Amino acid sequence: MKLRPSGDNLAGYAFISPFIIGFLAFTIIPMVVSLYLSFTNYDLFSTPQWVGLGNYIEMFTGDEKYWTTIKVTFTYVLAGVPLRLTFALIVAMLLNRASRMVGIYRTLFYLPSIIGGSVAVAIMWRNIFGNEGTINQLLFFMGIDQKIYWYQEPTSALWTLILLSVWQFGSSMLIFLAGLKNISPEYYEAASVDGANPFQKFFKITLPLLSPIIFFNLVMQTISAFMTFTPAYIISKGEGGPLDGTLLYSLYLFQKAFNFFQMGYASAMAWVMLLIVGILTLILFKTSKYWVHYESKEG
Amino acid sequence: MKKLMLSLSSLMLAAGLAGCGDESSGGTSGEVKEDGAKEDITLRVAWWGGQPRHDYTMKVIEMYEEANPHVNIEAEFANWDDYWKKLAPMAAANQLPDIIQMDTAYLSQYGEKGQLEDLTSYTKDGTINVDNIDETTLAGGNIGDKMYGFNLGSNVLSVITNDDMLKEAGVELNEENWTWDDFEKAAIDVQKATGKYGTNPMNPPDVFFPYYLRTQGERFYNEDGTGLAYKDDQLFVDFFERQVRLIKAKAFPTPDVSAQIKGLEDDFIVKGEAAMTWNYSNQYLGFAQLTDAPLTINLPPEQTENKALFLRPSMFFSVPKSSEHKEEAAKFIDFWTNDVEANKLIKGDRGVPVSSEILEALKPELSEDEVKIFEYVERASQNASPADPPDPLGSAEVMKALKDISDQILFEKITPEEGAKKFREQADEILSRNG
Repeated sequence: MKLRPSGDNLAGYAFISPFIIGFLAFTIIPMVVSLYLSFTNYDLFSTPQWVGLGNYIEMFTGDEKYWTTIKVTFTYVLAGVPLRLTFALIVAMLLNRASRMVGIYRTLFYLPSIIGGSVAVAIMWRNIFGNEGTINQLLFFMGIDQKIYWYQEPTSALWTLILLSVWQFGSSMLIFLAGLKNISPEYYEAASVDGANPFQKFFKITLPLLSPIIFFNLVMQTISAFMTFTPAYIISKGEGGPLDGTLLYSLYLFQKAFNFFQMGYASAMAWVMLLIVGILTLILFKTSKYWVHYESKEG
Repeated sequence: MKKLMLSLSSLMLAAGLAGCGDESSGGTSGEVKEDGAKEDITLRVAWWGGQPRHDYTMKVIEMYEEANPHVNIEAEFANWDDYWKKLAPMAAANQLPDIIQMDTAYLSQYGEKGQLEDLTSYTKDGTINVDNIDETTLAGGNIGDKMYGFNLGSNVLSVITNDDMLKEAGVELNEENWTWDDFEKAAIDVQKATGKYGTNPMNPPDVFFPYYLRTQGERFYNEDGTGLAYKDDQLFVDFFERQVRLIKAKAFPTPDVSAQIKGLEDDFIVKGEAAMTWNYSNQYLGFAQLTDAPLTINLPPEQTENKALFLRPSMFFSVPKSSEHKEEAAKFIDFWTNDVEANKLIKGDRGVPVSSEILEALKPELSEDEVKIFEYVERASQNASPADPPDPLGSAEVMKALKDISDQILFEKITPEEGAKKFREQADEILSRNG
């Protein structure tokens, strides 16, 4: 054993220890505990009781609401993510055209994503779509004296949530914008010489060359969409109503844990969520070889 | 850091002293230093509420600290939702405040799981003076023979009416003997005459459906909290069919409309959008202050025959088992309940005070609206029967199930018959876990 290297090692460990300690204390240990709790009945007050797979079995066979929340969450993700990405790409392409004010526009379009996850925006959203809200007022001024009760139907209530998520397209947009800037203008020039129209340019040049970025955005946005909590909690006042129409997965998990004190069941739900997201991500990765083109491989 | 060390060491010291006290004097009032001065202690007091309640509670706490210089009180307060979300983790960590404001909905959850101290010994030895408090009122905080919550005040269900709107519709209420049918007719008449709702939604259903059952001589939960007490699902059907009829007549708001009420200022009765509103009596004060039209507080329909009304403990103070200053906590509860000056600040905000002596002393202090509430509770108590025992374990889930099914019925996604069956299945399943 040499003294010096071990001294170096020690210093090294000392430097990374803040992260290691934080990672252990706030990520790994809670995860292990939650895995254990998912096999128990735990109400916070008494000691956890081992129930084996009981929570998981109850979830898939006995809990009607669980399937409702799966349906709602998948609708939210499957409708929200593609819409948000499409919107982000369109705006990014508009901003990609050199223009004098582009810096200001970029900031303006990015703003909703900074504030979008916040409580204040969710409250604003609730009021915009309220029965006496902005949308209905606008309709009234346009001469349509027919109120739309957005929060009366489960579907329309969920769509207000999806719209809110689409509105927060800023971060995807910025990444798209960076990707667009990376595409060499020579491709477009060559295509113009060959007489390609804008649509051909978009589908034959932009999309393929942007596909790694699209893939990245798709994976990240899908994961974060599954974990959406704040807007659903605020807009439905923690209820997930009307008729469970906005009962997103994490909101139901929260209700189970903190309203009904079923920490074991909630932990089990969290692990199933991890599995679902993991499997979906895996599927995305598997399919990526059919539609994602990396320039380096081709060149 | 210094402060932390100080409080840590004082905590340890206090724990040590309390330990000694237990051994030597058998747990009577210990914590007295040799020179006669009392050991400095810190009590944590937690409650939920809105800003006005926070303000006057802080004042009462200051009064107590002045009268008891050795006690330093730390206040922890939040709104209803956040309060319960904070309390549960504190219980799990064995760090509950020394005095916690408690509700019937949670009393079983905390009491039966061994979190709360039985306060009977403190009422027996006079630490908390209960001479002027009615037996049944006190028993409101009991589970079995253990007093897990000390009742702070009483509320009674009521129907508050907008007299102008009733007059416009030509409706006259006889609060002593009006029936559910009279109520329905009144609501529809108001709608026809004014175009507004006849009544607010009877929301949440877990308050008003049990009242309906009481008017029919039935109960919601059975005695030991292992199931539903009422056997006939027709009662459920009748209760909700009436609401569906009222919705069809546009005399009763659909759940999405009521979900948009953000606070007292927004309420149907305050904005003149409903002529009647179902509420607990203490809410009359807020409504009366905010509403332009003259309001009356009435007994709800069909309360006479089966003595359906009851004095609901508005809230309790509980002392957790983990507290190191249980006796000091009990003394604070005594002060809260029996000190006249303190109650001049509290008034009726935590329900009509339980002590008859305080009640008398307060009367000259009250505003006209407050007098109305006090008189109403007195009027109602003359024909009241005991309140249902505190909600059983799992009641939070049962309440949510009832609300969900009620919404489905009122949006006409399912019939009241289907709802009755579905609710019974779900409630039985939830409550059977207690058995």
